[in-house]
Amino acid sequence: MLVVTCPICNASGDETDFHYGGQAHVRRPATADPLNITDEEQRDYLFIRHNPKGLHFERWRCDRGCGKWFHAARDTVTMEFKATYGITELPPVELMKEAKGPWADYFKMRMKEKA
Amino acid sequence: MSTKPYRLAEGGSRIDRSRKVTFSFDGKDISGFAGDTLASAVLASGQKLFGRSFKYHRPRGLVGLGSEEMNALIGVGVGSRHEPNLRATQIEIFDGLAAESQNRWPSLKYDIGAINSKFSRFLPAGFYYKTFMWPKSFWKHVYEPFIRKAAGLGKAPEGRDPDMYEHMHVHADVIIIGGGLAGLTAAEAAASTGVKVLLCDENPVLGGIADLTAGMIDGECVEAYTTAAAARLAAKSNVHILTRTTVVGHFHHNYLMAFERVGDHDPAILASGAPKHRLWKIRADKVVVATGALERPIAFANNDRPNIMLASAVRGLLDRYGVTPGSNGVVFTNNDDAYLTAFALKKAGVNVRIVDSRSRSDGTLVKRAIAAGIDVQLSSVISAVEGTVGVTAVKIAAYRKGQGRVITEKRVDCDFIAMSGGWNPALHIWCHNGGKIQFDDRLQSFRPKSHTDNIVAIGAANGTMSVEATLAEAQTLAKKTKTFKVEEPSRGALESLWFAPATGKYNEGNKHFIDFQNDVTAADLELAQREGYESVEHTKRYTTFGMATDQGKTSNLNGLGVISEATGKTIPEIGVTTFRPPYTPYSFGSIAGSLTNDLFLPIRRTPIFEWHMEHGAVFEPVGQWRRSYTYPQASEDKHQAINREILCVRNKVGLLDASTLGKIEIKGPDAAEFLDRIYTNTFSTLKVGKCRYGLMMNELGFLTDDGVTVRLAEDHFIMHTTSGGADRIGAWLEEWLQTEWTQYKVFVTPVTEQWAQFAVAGPRARDVLSKLSPDFDISNEAFPHMSFRQGLIGGYPVRVYRISFSGELSYEVATPANFGQGLWNAIMEAGDEFGLSAYGTEALHVLRAEKGYIVVGDESDGTVTPIDVGLEGMVSKKKPDFIGKRSLEQSFLKGPNRKQLVGLFTADPTEVLPDGAYAVAQAKDKPPMEMIGQVTSTYMSPTLGRSIAMALIENGRARMGEVISFPLEGGKVMKATITDTVFYDKEGGRIHG
Amino acid sequence: MDNKMGVELQFESALAHRTASDNLSIAMREISERGMIDLRGLASDKKFMSAVKSVLGFDLPKAPRTSASWGDMKALWLSSDQWLILCTRSKTTALLAELTAALGKIHSLAVDVSDMRAILRLEGEGTRETLMKGSTLDLISDDYKPGTVRRMRFAEIAALLHVVEENVIDIYVFRSYAEYTWAFLTKAARKGAEVRLFRK
Repeated sequence: MLVVTCPICNASGDETDFHYGGQAHVRRPATADPLNITDEEQRDYLFIRHNPKGLHFERWRCDRGCGKWFHAARDTVTMEFKATYGITELPPVELMKEAKGPWADYFKMRMKEKA
Repeated sequence: MSTKPYRLAEGGSRIDRSRKVTFSFDGKDISGFAGDTLASAVLASGQKLFGRSFKYHRPRGLVGLGSEEMNALIGVGVGSRHEPNLRATQIEIFDGLAAESQNRWPSLKYDIGAINSKFSRFLPAGFYYKTFMWPKSFWKHVYEPFIRKAAGLGKAPEGRDPDMYEHMHVHADVIIIGGGLAGLTAAEAAASTGVKVLLCDENPVLGGIADLTAGMIDGECVEAYTTAAAARLAAKSNVHILTRTTVVGHFHHNYLMAFERVGDHDPAILASGAPKHRLWKIRADKVVVATGALERPIAFANNDRPNIMLASAVRGLLDRYGVTPGSNGVVFTNNDDAYLTAFALKKAGVNVRIVDSRSRSDGTLVKRAIAAGIDVQLSSVISAVEGTVGVTAVKIAAYRKGQGRVITEKRVDCDFIAMSGGWNPALHIWCHNGGKIQFDDRLQSFRPKSHTDNIVAIGAANGTMSVEATLAEAQTLAKKTKTFKVEEPSRGALESLWFAPATGKYNEGNKHFIDFQNDVTAADLELAQREGYESVEHTKRYTTFGMATDQGKTSNLNGLGVISEATGKTIPEIGVTTFRPPYTPYSFGSIAGSLTNDLFLPIRRTPIFEWHMEHGAVFEPVGQWRRSYTYPQASEDKHQAINREILCVRNKVGLLDASTLGKIEIKGPDAAEFLDRIYTNTFSTLKVGKCRYGLMMNELGFLTDDGVTVRLAEDHFIMHTTSGGADRIGAWLEEWLQTEWTQYKVFVTPVTEQWAQFAVAGPRARDVLSKLSPDFDISNEAFPHMSFRQGLIGGYPVRVYRISFSGELSYEVATPANFGQGLWNAIMEAGDEFGLSAYGTEALHVLRAEKGYIVVGDESDGTVTPIDVGLEGMVSKKKPDFIGKRSLEQSFLKGPNRKQLVGLFTADPTEVLPDGAYAVAQAKDKPPMEMIGQVTSTYMSPTLGRSIAMALIENGRARMGEVISFPLEGGKVMKATITDTVFYDKEGGRIHG
Repeated sequence: MDNKMGVELQFESALAHRTASDNLSIAMREISERGMIDLRGLASDKKFMSAVKSVLGFDLPKAPRTSASWGDMKALWLSSDQWLILCTRSKTTALLAELTAALGKIHSLAVDVSDMRAILRLEGEGTRETLMKGSTLDLISDDYKPGTVRRMRFAEIAALLHVVEENVIDIYVFRSYAEYTWAFLTKAARKGAEVRLFRK
C-alpha cells in the first residue's frame, strides 16, 4: 500500500484515497488535429504504453481528497515517488535526464519542441 | 511419583500457583495454574501427545515455546466459536476453555490415518502429482474427497461467528517489532528523542527470551533489565505498547499489519464488548525489526517423536511454568546455547546428559558443564530414537563431519530430548517487502543484508547473538548512547549439523523430519534433487517444504542444509525460498473486521427507502443502491405485480422512485462546447429550458453512458446519467477538463443526492400533478415533451422535466432529498383517484423495452457502438471532434458483420427467450454451432399480450423477417422472427399526450 | 416546515428515525438544521474572491484543508476551486440568491446541496480513535487541529471530515450512505471497544 502525496492539497494518504490514471504524457491526437489521424497514431494513443523497470511517469488523481489530477514520477522497483508535478507540466529536468528507454526518447522530443 | 509428575514442586515465573484454572482438552478436564499456556498445562498433566501429523498421521508433541510451534496445533472453542490451528504454546488458559487436538480420527490415541505411515513408501514427495493422475474422472469423485478428509489441519467452525472484530489504524514515527532485549532497548532509545514509538510483541509479557538468556547487565540479570525497561516504556506518553500482537506482514512504504488477540485469553474481556481480535494497519516512518531468532531442530532419525523439543522450549517450560517433559533427558546440540538447558534441568533435579556433535568448544558453558559433572559426549550424535508416542531411549553414535551412516551405536534410556541445531534470525518481516539477506558462516544461517525501505534489523534478528552487542546495536536510534556493564559467558563456535547419520542413508528406513508440519523428510528433499527439482522454489512446491503456517520458521535452514549436502552446492548458492506474509496465521474474523452483516457492503438508500420497505418492495441492487424491483401486493407473485404495474402506467398512471439517476451541474462559458465534445450528438444547439437525450462513447468508440441533459441557462446545464454511471461520469468529466481541455472555463458539480426524483408516468400523469396545484402552467402547450420547468408542486420546490422512458406522458419531478418522502406521499395521495400506483425497476424495464429504448449495460456490453444499437443518427457528422469519434471511424466498427440491435418475436408468443440466449446460424444436435448473436433484453409484455425481446444479431437490420434459432440447454431450440425494436406505439403519439 | 403556499411540508433528514444507542463511548447525533452551498470558482480570480467576500463577510480560505468562519457561517476548503459554505438551513435559499447575484457573470458555480449530505456530529474523548477504526489518516496528529477539513475515504465510502473542536468532529457523508455510516460508528464506538493511542 503506497503513500501518495497530492501536490495540490499537500495531503498524504494511502493509495486507496487516490486513483491511478495510467501512464503520463499520453497525447490525444484528436485534440490537436481531429481530421488527420492515422490508424497507427490512434493505436499508439489508445494502447501503447511503456512498462519500465525503474523510473516511470504516471497520472494520479487525489480521488478522495481535492479531486485534482497530477503527475508523479515513481520508481517501479523501490516504489519511491521521486516527484509529483502539475498535470499539464513536464517532470523536473533532472528526472527527464534520468529517464531511460522510450521515456528518454519522449522527453528529448518534448525538450526539442520547447526549444 | 505424585499425580502431577511433570509439574515441579517449585519454580515457574509466569504461573500463579494460588490460582487453579480448569479447562478441557479432548473432553477431559485438566487443571493448570493462572499464567499457564495450554502447552505447559497439558504437559504438566502428563500428556505428551498433542496432535497427529499432516500426511502420515504420526503422533506429535510439543516442539517449541512460542509462535514457532508447528506440531501442537489445537482447535479452541466449540460450535460457532471454534477456532482451529492455534499453537498450544500461545494459548493462555482460563476456566472453561475447551480445546481439542486435530487431524485425528476417531481419537488422538487411536488414529486410523496412521496407517498412512505404514504405507509411507507409497507417499513420497510429490505423491499427489504422481499417484492421483489417472483416470481423470477419479480425481473429482474419489481421490480429492479422500485426500481432503485424510489430510488437512483443523476443522472450520460451524455457523456464524458471534464475536466482534475490528480494524484499527495507527501511525508512528518508529515501529519496533519485538519486545525482547533488543526491542525494548531500541524503544527506549527512540522514545528518548521524543518521537512516537509503537512497540508490538506477540507475547502477553514483554522481554522476549531475556529470562532464558545468560548474563548480567549492570549487575542484574537480563530479565531484571527488560522488566524495568518495559515498565519505564509503559509510563511514556509517546510510546504505545501492543502485547499479544503479532506483526504479520510488512508491505510497501512501511505499511504493516498486526494481529492483536484482544479477548482470546479472557472471556470477561469479550463480554465487556471488546472485539475478539483487532487487525492493526500501521504506517511507520521507520521500522525496527527486533524479532529475535528461532532455534532450529536437528534432523535425526525419528526426530518428530513426542517429547523431542527445542532446547529453548525445555528451558522455557522449566523456568516459566515449573514443568519438565520428563525425568531423564538428553540435550542434543551443535552449539553452546543448549548447555543452558542442561543447567536448568540439573537445577530442577532432572537427570540430563549432553550429546554434542562438535569435537570441541572453548565456550565457558561447556567447561562449566563438564566441571559440574554433567555427562558431555562430544563428537556424538543421536542416531536413533525408541518409542512411538514418546521417547523411551536413544542410540548415541560417534560422529565426524561428513559421515554418511552409523555403524556402531550405544543405547541409553531417556524420556525426552532437548535439541538445538543453532539459531536462525527471524527474517520474515525483513524479507516480506524485498529485504536482501546474506549467509553468515558463524551462525550457519542467513541474516539481513540490505533493504530499500527505511528499516533496520537489530539484535538476534540481525544475527547479533550476544547481550553486549545487542545493547549497542539497539541504541542506534538514540541521540546519546548509553553504556552498560555486561557480563556474559564466552561462546564456542557452532558447527553445522544438517543431517545426523543413522544406520540407514537418507532414503533408507528412519525418517529425518525437516518440515514437521508438512511431513517433509530429508529423504523427500534428497529425492526431489534426484528427480531434477534443482531450483529451491521448485523443491519447495514439489515437497511442500516451508509451506503453510511454518513458512520456513523451523524448517528452512535444515532443508537447505540437506539440499546442500545432496547437491554439493553451498547454501548461498542454493538460495532461500520466499518468505511470505503472514508471519503467523491470523483469523478471517480480523480480516473482515467490522465489515460484516449490515456493514458487509455499503448499501445506498434513496430518500424513499423506508416507504419501499413498508410497502413490501422486492429490492434489486443497482451498483450499491437498492432499488425497488416491484411491489407485490397481498396475493400477487412477482410477475403478477410487475404486469399490474406496467398496465397501470400504460392505462392510468404510475410513480417511480428514480432518485438514483446521476445528476451533474455543468456551468461556464464553454459548457456547451464541452458537452459537444462529451456527447456523440450536439448540445450547443439546445434551447434554454429544453431537454435532449445524449449518447456518450469512450475513446474506443463504444457506448459508455446515456441520459437526458437539460439547458438551465445559456451557460448552465444539468446532465442526467445512468444510476450506475453517476460517479464514473462525474469523475470522467473532471478528468477531461483537468487533463485535456484545460482551456475550457467549465465547472462540474455532481449533485445526484441533492435530489429525490420521481417519474410520474401514464395518461393521467398531468391530472395527478394538476391536483397538486403547480405554480406554473403544465398544459401540453405550455409545457411540451422534452422541456423543463421549476416551481412548486404541492408546495414543494421542484424541478420538473417532461421526459419519458416509458413512451407515456411522463414527468420527472425532482425535489430536495429531505422533501422527497413528503412529495412522494403528496403525489400518492393526489393520484389515488386516478388509480396511481408505485412501480418498480422491472416494470420500468419492460415499459422501455416495449418502446425499443436501450439500456446501456443491457443492450451494450463495452464492445457495442451507437451504430450497432441503431442510433447512428445520434452520432454527429458535423462536429470535428468528440470522444470516440476517431475510433468509430475504423472500418471494422462499420462492417456489415457487426452485431446489430433488432427486435424478436418468438414463434410461441407465450414463451420468453432466456436472457443472454445465443442465436446460431444453424441449430444442430450438439456444439459446435456458429453463433450469430445473443439476446440482450427479454420480457413478457402485458401490453402486447406476448413475449418480446431485443438481441444483437450479426447484420441483423438486413435480416428483418428472418426466423433464427436459439438452442437452449437440454436440447430445446426456440425460434424467433427478427423484427423492429419498437414494439408499441410506433408513431410515438402517446408521449405527447 | 411551512412554505409560501401555507402548506405544511414534510421534512425528513436521512437519519430522522435514528437515536443513538446508549451503549456508546462517545456522543453521536445527526445535524440536520444546517444548510450547505457548494461553491466553485477560481481562488486566483480576484473578482470571484471579493464577490464572495462581499456576501459572506469573510475571505474564503485559500490554504488547503482549512476552514474560515464568521457568525453562523463557515466556509470549508474542498479544493483549489471548491468550497462548502455552511449556514443555517432556513437561510440557504437567500444566501444562494445573494451569492448568485453578486457573482453575476464571474465564472463560478454555486449550488444548494443542503440535502446531498448527512452530517454526523461525534463528540467526546475517544472520537478521533473511533474514527481511526475506519480511516487511514493519522487523526490524532497535529495535522488535525480544530478547523481542519479533509475529504477522505471512511470505512468503504467517501466522507468529509471537519474538526470542530479538539473532541468534536463532524463527518459529512452522501445522504444515501447515512445509515451505513451510522451503523459503522455505532459498532466502532460501542463501550468496551475503546482504543486510546499514545495517551495515558
